Amino acid sequence: MRNKRLFILMIGLIVFIAVMGFTLGRTRLTWPEKFMNDAVGTVQGALYRPVGAVADFLGDLGRLSDVYNENQQLRQTVARYAQDQLKYNFIEAENERLKNALQFTENQKQLYHYRYLIAQVIGSSSNPFDQTIKINLGSRDGIKSQMAVTTTDGLIGLISHVSEFTSTVEPITQLSPESPQGVQVAATIFGKESSSFGIIDSFDEQTGMLQMSKIDENDKMVKGDKVITSGLGNVFPRGIMIGTVENRQVGDFGLTQKASVRPAANFDHIREVFVVITPGMDGP
Amino acid sequence: MKMNRAVLAGIVLLLIENGVVPWLVPAAWSDRLVPHLTFILTLYVACFAGRHRAFLFGLGFGLLGDLLYYGNLIGPYGFGMGLIGYTAGLAFERSIPTLAAVIGLTAIGGLALNTIVYLIYRLFRLTQWSYGFAFYWYMVPSLLLEILAALVLYLPVRRFLFRQSASSGEEPRV
Repeated sequence: MRNKRLFILMIGLIVFIAVMGFTLGRTRLTWPEKFMNDAVGTVQGALYRPVGAVADFLGDLGRLSDVYNENQQLRQTVARYAQDQLKYNFIEAENERLKNALQFTENQKQLYHYRYLIAQVIGSSSNPFDQTIKINLGSRDGIKSQMAVTTTDGLIGLISHVSEFTSTVEPITQLSPESPQGVQVAATIFGKESSSFGIIDSFDEQTGMLQMSKIDENDKMVKGDKVITSGLGNVFPRGIMIGTVENRQVGDFGLTQKASVRPAANFDHIREVFVVITPGMDGP
Repeated sequence: MKMNRAVLAGIVLLLIENGVVPWLVPAAWSDRLVPHLTFILTLYVACFAGRHRAFLFGLGFGLLGDLLYYGNLIGPYGFGMGLIGYTAGLAFERSIPTLAAVIGLTAIGGLALNTIVYLIYRLFRLTQWSYGFAFYWYMVPSLLLEILAALVLYLPVRRFLFRQSASSGEEPRV
């Protein structure tokens, strides 16, 4: 009897190790998985959003005193925005004219026309090693894996698994050079786009910082610079805020340098996110 | 034990675990306080309904959680909750646990589950954390919250899920 129990335990262990190994780093989902995701996701959404609204409302009540200051700041921002808008219109028109003069193809012209799909968050994981969140857009809405996901503050993650009506977002706090997906984000510095480059490839849980590596020695990035996605490679959209440079030191082999980047986005209590669709990914 | 109701309660707890708890936890603690409410219910099933049902219950809800929040791999919680449900069933089968027993069981079970999951992620090299850091970072805070949740659930589980036998001498029917 005791042997039988041990035997079953061993078989179970082997089966589970096999399942884990098989599902490791897989991006496609089978239909039962999609079905479970969509069924639970729909119900979950009906719970997560109202609770979030109530929690936000209570939080806002506590912040009432800050609203006046925030309003003041926003007014200044709007004033500056109006000026920038004028400048932007001129530059865009000129850019368009130059593209025509240089005979850009239709594909090249559409390259940076990103679409932002707004998505509601419908749940977040309780597994400390897989801090994924779920959103209520799926393959039916044109979502594909590896698309960038942002909030108004900055980049928060990548789509990792897609089912019909929902998809799973893997936050950039899960980035790791040893992860099976091995995602790396090409980054540059706001205002120094042509001269700065680095690769964001991991997140340090203990300091709460993203690690940017492969920075050139002569790079002019300094502490406090804003890090944005560079869009090189055209898989990932460009110009999405990632964070600010906190410090910079010599890298592991002394040839390149590395920097710590404080993420701009807040990863907790997210209600709405934007999925960025690049024209190359779903056809222009 | 009314298994239909237990499964229903499990689904509700799963929804609460991923939909409501994240909002109740302060933002600064959101990756440190990650209680597993379905796991607590698995322990109660182990006490009230026996090891085999606890095994199936834990396996099912563990796998469901793994599947819904599939990040790197499927199965750690399915394996851990099934195994611990069965073991808890062996120890506490068919006895109405006292509050002290509930606290002890949740503490030991929760720690064992977190350790199993940690070891699996370590085995597949998906985490770089040392055990000490993981222990301090999320296991202890989550464990305290889980014990609290277990105490809160104690009376509702006894009242709504456990079928009291007519005569006190009879063994509870399952």
